[in-house]
Amino acid sequence: MLDGRGQWWHGYELAKLAGIKSGTLYPLLIRLEGQGYLEAEWQQPAEGGRPPRHAYRLSASGEQLARANPPGKPATSVAQRRKAMI
Amino acid sequence: MSGGLRRGLAEFACRSLKAALPPSLQSWASAIRIETAEIPDDTKALQFALGSLFGLMPTALGSRLLRPSALLIGKAAPSHGETTTMNFYDIALRRPRATGSVCALGAVALGLCYMGVAGAPSHYLAINSAALAIGLAMLALLGRVMQAARQWTDGTIAVMAGALLATALLGNHVDGAARWVTLGGLSIQPSLVLLPLMIGAFARWRTALATAGIIAAAAAMALQPDRAMAGMLAGSLAVLAMMRPERQIMVALGASIASFIITLARADTLPAAPYVDQILYSSFDVHLAAGAAVLLGSALLLVPSIVGWCRDPANRPAYAVFGAAWLAGIVAAALGNYPTPIVGYGGSAIIGYALSLLVLPKHAQAVAGAAFRKQGEMDPTQPDRHLIVGLA
Repeated sequence: MLDGRGQWWHGYELAKLAGIKSGTLYPLLIRLEGQGYLEAEWQQPAEGGRPPRHAYRLSASGEQLARANPPGKPATSVAQRRKAMI
Repeated sequence: MSGGLRRGLAEFACRSLKAALPPSLQSWASAIRIETAEIPDDTKALQFALGSLFGLMPTALGSRLLRPSALLIGKAAPSHGETTTMNFYDIALRRPRATGSVCALGAVALGLCYMGVAGAPSHYLAINSAALAIGLAMLALLGRVMQAARQWTDGTIAVMAGALLATALLGNHVDGAARWVTLGGLSIQPSLVLLPLMIGAFARWRTALATAGIIAAAAAMALQPDRAMAGMLAGSLAVLAMMRPERQIMVALGASIASFIITLARADTLPAAPYVDQILYSSFDVHLAAGAAVLLGSALLLVPSIVGWCRDPANRPAYAVFGAAWLAGIVAAALGNYPTPIVGYGGSAIIGYALSLLVLPKHAQAVAGAAFRKQGEMDPTQPDRHLIVGLA
């Protein structure tokens, strides 16, 4: 998501990109949104007649967190430690 | 499976998720439903919906379970930033009966896993599941009426003792043992249902009538004869006597030890029943995972007493007696041909475990109400001391 630079993503798209199942993805999204690291909003699709979709992107603090914990580097923040307890 | 059916199942999974999630997370259920509809491939859509359902079910359960305690302590619903681990930790500290219910659920589920792997008849699994539902429903129901019917507790102990004596005298005889009665076409072992509850009730309510009830129960165990349950009675009363060396407890302990000695002296030739007895060992012959499920399920039974003992000192006698009773049941199952509580086939122990949770405080560390002592027989530290059981 950090690479998207403010781009909005959909759930199925994120699951495919990250290579994780929806059952792993959504609890993480919910938690990140609850902690303020993720922004979520309903977006109207370009095509008419379709329902709005939930879209996600990192908030400013989420981007900071992601930059501080690049892939492969152990998480350091308290929030990340709490997440690891689950 | 046709594409339409897969779509239908995916839709059903999304609707189930919406029903399970608390109001604060309903928008996520809607998001998943719409996202599922956007996936062109039917199979992938079904996988996406089912994955979301199973992945979010712990969150849904955690939110639902924590809500009552949040109301109790005047807190708003937990934020989703709190971890599930923290939520269950809170529940374990504040709601011993809820913790016990979760442990019962886990132990029964692990028992079902064992029986499924071991190839037990499918109706065994159904009976254990139904017993859990019945036990938890009775726990909820009786938990509500306890306060209103407090004065009947010792009388109820006496009535339950009468039921155990009647079983010994009039129950179904198998190889010289009379431990069962037939109800609705099912064979039930009343001692497994009633005795843990009676012991816990006696730990809290010690009148002359209650003591007489325990002595009668000890006599019934000697008559049946049932070493496992006599051992459970003697072991848990011994623990209670160590914590509260009072006259009535010592008298009841003496009777229970005599009963246990009599059961040891009498012949017990009942062979082991498949999926019921000796499964602590035989499950490992089936599969390592089956053995682990049985061991873990048995250990879960003791969790409420261990957590309560550590975190709720005011009510330690209740936790100690509860733990001693079920530990004795597990040890007996390990040593002889006696039912392995909860994880083995048999609804009596499941219902008995659920009912015995009534002896634990509903809310740990609750402020004790006005003392309601009757010639010094009640334990003033018990906030939820008035146990009544309508099981006669």
